[in-house]
Amino acid sequence: MARSRSSRRSLVAGSIMFAPYLILLVLFGILPIIQATVTSIGPSIVNPAGGLQNFADVVADVRFLPALMNVVVFLLMYVPAMIIVVSLMSLLLDTVQGRWNLPLRLTYIVPASMTGATAVLIWYFMLEPSLSPYRDALHALGITQGNQIWRQGGLAWIFVAMAFFVGAGNWIVVQYGSLQSISEDVIEAARIDGANAWQIGWRIKLPLIRKYLVYMGILVFAAGLQVFVEPQLISGSVYTGIAKDWSLNQLSYDLAFQSNNLAGSAALSLMLLVVCIVAAIVVIFRTDFFEGTGVGKK
Amino acid sequence: MTTESIALPGRGEGIVRTRGFGAASGRVVVWIVLAVFGILSIVPMIWLILAPSKTGQQLNDNPPFSFGSFEQYGVTWNNLLSQNDGVILKWMANSVTYTASIVVISCVTAVLAGYALAATTLPFKRVLLIITLIAMIIPPVALVVPLFVEISAIGLYDNPASVILTSSFYPFGVFLAYIYFSTSIPTEIYEAAKVDGAGEFTTFFRIALPLSKGLFGMLAFFSFSAAWVNYFLPYVLLQSQENFNLSVGLGFLFTSSPALNPLNGAQQSLIGRPEIALASLFLAIPILIVFIASSRLLVRGVLAGAVKS
Repeated sequence: MARSRSSRRSLVAGSIMFAPYLILLVLFGILPIIQATVTSIGPSIVNPAGGLQNFADVVADVRFLPALMNVVVFLLMYVPAMIIVVSLMSLLLDTVQGRWNLPLRLTYIVPASMTGATAVLIWYFMLEPSLSPYRDALHALGITQGNQIWRQGGLAWIFVAMAFFVGAGNWIVVQYGSLQSISEDVIEAARIDGANAWQIGWRIKLPLIRKYLVYMGILVFAAGLQVFVEPQLISGSVYTGIAKDWSLNQLSYDLAFQSNNLAGSAALSLMLLVVCIVAAIVVIFRTDFFEGTGVGKK
Repeated sequence: MTTESIALPGRGEGIVRTRGFGAASGRVVVWIVLAVFGILSIVPMIWLILAPSKTGQQLNDNPPFSFGSFEQYGVTWNNLLSQNDGVILKWMANSVTYTASIVVISCVTAVLAGYALAATTLPFKRVLLIITLIAMIIPPVALVVPLFVEISAIGLYDNPASVILTSSFYPFGVFLAYIYFSTSIPTEIYEAAKVDGAGEFTTFFRIALPLSKGLFGMLAFFSFSAAWVNYFLPYVLLQSQENFNLSVGLGFLFTSSPALNPLNGAQQSLIGRPEIALASLFLAIPILIVFIASSRLLVRGVLAGAVKS
């Protein structure tokens, strides 16, 4: 009797504590999806009848396939580059303990402070052959004119470089942190068995932080799928229109704010969202990342 | 002990073999890679700090890492102030207000919810946790258009509250708090308090909260870093210049001034490349300071610490 009363009190208290977050979750996590779903099948400027035809219209839009290809190419470069470089750099960083470790980590997170418009400004200067500190390197590559770099069709790698530059350092520091969770005994045991530094990194440390790398890979994929800021700002400033509707999110934005086709925009957003939700479900139920956190069934 | 006595002969051999020429040159390569990556990381920041010390002309003609003059920083700043009666000051103030509100609301709601998930008999715990995890993995950008649709429908478009409230939804924080309260603090402590007759609120405020300073630091760090540079969401939800935060304002300067493209905007604008660089610096420096101040938090392993069961 006493027990059930105390557990009921705990239930009431728990619900009160959870309520503020729950309100935000419902208002800004769940309701927008419902609202977007309703909007996506409503009447649109191109399709007054509404319904699932809106989805078909978006896919049939002449801008859809090129944007999809751009994003696919972007992801094919960006995700592997992040995983490979971040793994490698965090392993290397882990081998140099001592006084230089912290200063190195601090320099690596500097670029993360230069996002959005700042990143676009910086990359404009870094890549403009007449202004760049890497002028000689660019000239050596045969690049002497800005328009040799900023040209339609060759933009994906620039956006990869920008996104990589902003994100990689932070992830290196985070994965370096993951490496610190490996027990010293494990490393010592491998060393005793005669493993060299390379073997310890590749065969012992990397497999032990594999799940954190997989988690990172999926977050990076989900974020990359939504690429928006870099092409949008480049298109609006340096070379007007060069990357108009370059990514799927830009297309979604233009459908809503230029073409006055909110239904199409909502439909496209939902398609991107579904891919992200599938990715999330894969991490939660198909990897061991959340093992022991109370997600899995007993 | 035993491992040590077995180890010594074998290790000695290993040292002789690996500390030869190959290992030494290996170390050099490692150092070169680490150092080059470090240099590449800070080159743009150095450039950005130097850029506002030069005039637009000097920026084009002088070497990239040359220094103009300290006075020129003042000139550049005054040029920035000339934009729309000093709207840049309003953007900075907005960034501070929005970010502070978001950090407070997101951290408080996250800590409360994390504790409720970890230590109380909340119903539907597993479902709530899974929804939170899904929300945490989906990038916030994915919800921008749906949020715009909803915010317009409830009449909050171009209202700062729309940015503050939508950005305060912080599932990653809830997850971190949940893991913290269920692993870092032994559950026996809560149990003991409850046996002594303390209610959930007493246990939370007297026991759990005083033990969560580190948790608050971590939550505030991530919440701040996301809120300060937030671009896409405020860009879509806000319309009036005086409501912009610094990052949307910077984007606006970018696309409306002739700084980067002479075809853009009024030719007589005082906003050129040094001015844009200075505004970028105002956006970058606070986040850099917070990163450096929190570097010790990050060492312990955000992910490893969060999910180790």
